[in-house]
Amino acid sequence: MNLNPAVVMDNGTGLTKLGFAGNDSPSWIFPTAIATASPSGNKKTGSSATSSSVSGSGTNGSNGSSNPYFGNSTSATNFGGLTGGKMLLSNNLAGKRGTEDLDFYIGNEALVAAQSPSYSLSYPIRHGQVENWDHMERFWENSIFKYLRTEPEDHYFLLTEPPLNPPENREQVAEIFFESFNCAGLYIAVQAVLALAASWTSSKVIDRSLTGTVIDSGDGVTHVIPVAEGYVIGSAIKNIPIAGRDITEFIQSLLRERGEADTSLRTAERIKQEYCYVCPDIVKEFNKFDRQPEKFAQFIVESQEKTKQKVVDVGYERFLAPEIFFNPEIASSDYLTPLPTVVDQTIQACPIDVRKGLYNNIVLSGGSTMFKDFSRRLQRDMKSIVNARISQNEKMTGVKSSGVDVQVISHRKQRNAVWFGGSLLAQTAEFRGYCHTKRDYEEIGPEIVRNFSLFNVM
Amino acid sequence: MLHLDPHNLLLQKTLAEAREAQLAGRPLTLDRIVSDFDYTTFHVSNAPEDKSMLWVSIRSKAYQTVASCGSTYQSYLKDKLEAYPGIQLSSQTEAAYDISLIVDLNKLTQEGVVYLSLLKVLVVSYPFHLAFEEFDRLSKIPVPVDEPPVLSDVLFNIKHRDNEQFFVKPSNDRVTVIFETIFEDETDKIFGKVFLQEFVDARKRNRNIQSSPQVLVSHEPPLEVQNFFNTHRQQAGSDSDQKKYITFVLFPRHFQTSELQFSTICHLALFRNYFHYHIKCSKAYMHSRMRYRVNTFVKVLNRAKLDDEDEEDAENKNGEQEHTRKTISGRKMVY
Repeated sequence: MNLNPAVVMDNGTGLTKLGFAGNDSPSWIFPTAIATASPSGNKKTGSSATSSSVSGSGTNGSNGSSNPYFGNSTSATNFGGLTGGKMLLSNNLAGKRGTEDLDFYIGNEALVAAQSPSYSLSYPIRHGQVENWDHMERFWENSIFKYLRTEPEDHYFLLTEPPLNPPENREQVAEIFFESFNCAGLYIAVQAVLALAASWTSSKVIDRSLTGTVIDSGDGVTHVIPVAEGYVIGSAIKNIPIAGRDITEFIQSLLRERGEADTSLRTAERIKQEYCYVCPDIVKEFNKFDRQPEKFAQFIVESQEKTKQKVVDVGYERFLAPEIFFNPEIASSDYLTPLPTVVDQTIQACPIDVRKGLYNNIVLSGGSTMFKDFSRRLQRDMKSIVNARISQNEKMTGVKSSGVDVQVISHRKQRNAVWFGGSLLAQTAEFRGYCHTKRDYEEIGPEIVRNFSLFNVM
Repeated sequence: MLHLDPHNLLLQKTLAEAREAQLAGRPLTLDRIVSDFDYTTFHVSNAPEDKSMLWVSIRSKAYQTVASCGSTYQSYLKDKLEAYPGIQLSSQTEAAYDISLIVDLNKLTQEGVVYLSLLKVLVVSYPFHLAFEEFDRLSKIPVPVDEPPVLSDVLFNIKHRDNEQFFVKPSNDRVTVIFETIFEDETDKIFGKVFLQEFVDARKRNRNIQSSPQVLVSHEPPLEVQNFFNTHRQQAGSDSDQKKYITFVLFPRHFQTSELQFSTICHLALFRNYFHYHIKCSKAYMHSRMRYRVNTFVKVLNRAKLDDEDEEDAENKNGEQEHTRKTISGRKMVY
């Protein structure tokens, strides 16, 4: 009997979340970055027999540092750890071709390694989709064995993909997971659907349906994704070019204008995470700040040497920064549509029979939706848009409308909602039944992953 | 390089975070599952009433057979595990787990955290420990010159996976560790064969690693365990002909001091995972070569494409049928 927990992996553009099903938070969160060795002189992939054949098998190989193998083993000494000491060096295979492909770091270690000139950093995922499969395969290999310490043959895997991921990419993923790793079973879920599943933990959700609008706001871009009964309505997806990084930059520009002592991006980010909130009305909030000076906060920047401390005042940016979702004109001049309007347009672009469900279940996901009262403000603005439309409609047709209920759901697992949704679904007893197994893959081939049965609504 | 650490990074991180949070006065609420190789699962959770106490439980496939190796297992574990302050072997075991520890976060030290993350190795180290003891006993018996050496009938058998097991056999001048291995996947079989051959050959070829244990690979169960297989014939099953046996011969220099012993055990306990990890990495490397090759083929094909628009232009201009083709260098051929 296989009692091993399923592995849930959410590889995003910026961060990768890894963990085991049944846990309430990911075990590892690190940048989706890989630092690969860039040996001097020869290119990594093209380093065939040209340069290293000199020290090939003919010369017995064991002659010290001219062999590329030895050069690499020293550059990765901290792998040794407790076991240190001798490594089994075999020169026959290593001599024929370099082993640069084994010399790499992922995640935070990659960021550290990339500071030395012998490594180059790259991000294998762009805009949610895998760009460099070579790097991604090695990224997975290291994350499974080194960080999660699992034998993929013993575990089922749940991976995520962005909406509108081409089926060819899914097939590539399946090839890697079944052929390289021989994983026991695989399920690839759409991120938006998992975010919906994660919202079931909220007390506001009564029926556990997979219909709803997901607002997924990470670091780079904000997506509004309508999902009807587990299927993403691709034609109606809308993107907003405002996300976490824009808010941070906006705070930074405000700090610079005021001439604060420290205006680094890091400080701005910390201020964003610790002090910002969404206010119901900017004008009233400005007045409130003027009347109650205790609203102004102070942020202390800890520098490397503890003796010097810089103090940064935090003022109006506390509520102004998240405001750029609702009034983009305060920060940018080229994108002017507020978030509630975009959500409304998205839902209006969907088939008419699911619109009520979509208004009723607007789910937030991602770090940039974590501001206090974000959901309340969004719900209020959405309601006023919808009510205006209904009253206009009633006026024109003379028919009384039954009304549309708008509900924005915010819950505690919002930051890693996608991962958490995956963990929730993968710990159910039925999960294994939905997976494609290695046997299925060998029988049918990679096209098997074009279809996954949806999780039954419980 | 792709070295696997003997300690569980994730367990270490979880415990270190819990310890720091406790010392900072904000104890974490924990209920985590952490996994390790060979059907091993850890469960880290708060004690029911006191957040400064953690329950750390382990469930491992190998536990049953390890525990049956000797009668002193519980006291051995107690000795080993309670070597650092704040760690206590619990008399009650959490349901569905094999061993539970109670960890007092206030007393736990930094070294204790690292030590706890070696829990899996500690749990399976028992048969090795017994074997080294047995070796000590046997080596003290004087060997008569003309007679064959004393053979011990002690053999430890550990089933660490569903259809794989390993053996530890002490004798008067060496300790032999034999891994039984089988590959499910056809590709893995080939890679495994190459790797195993390389394990055997590497020592012969390279003078630097002469002091490492000798490695032997065979299809038949080695002589040391032949008796076991004769008596457990029915266990061998139908796939016994696909199994391979990897023998590590440990000489006293590999386990003279307790540090050496421990590092040897760490290496051996991780051997199978390390081996499979490398097979998987090789496959990944092959895949990247394949992708590279396919890309170059696609480039060649793209170069051979005919430029349709130019052809039409030429037709329109001259008003007559004319074949124009481009060579690789971009020159037009007209004929």
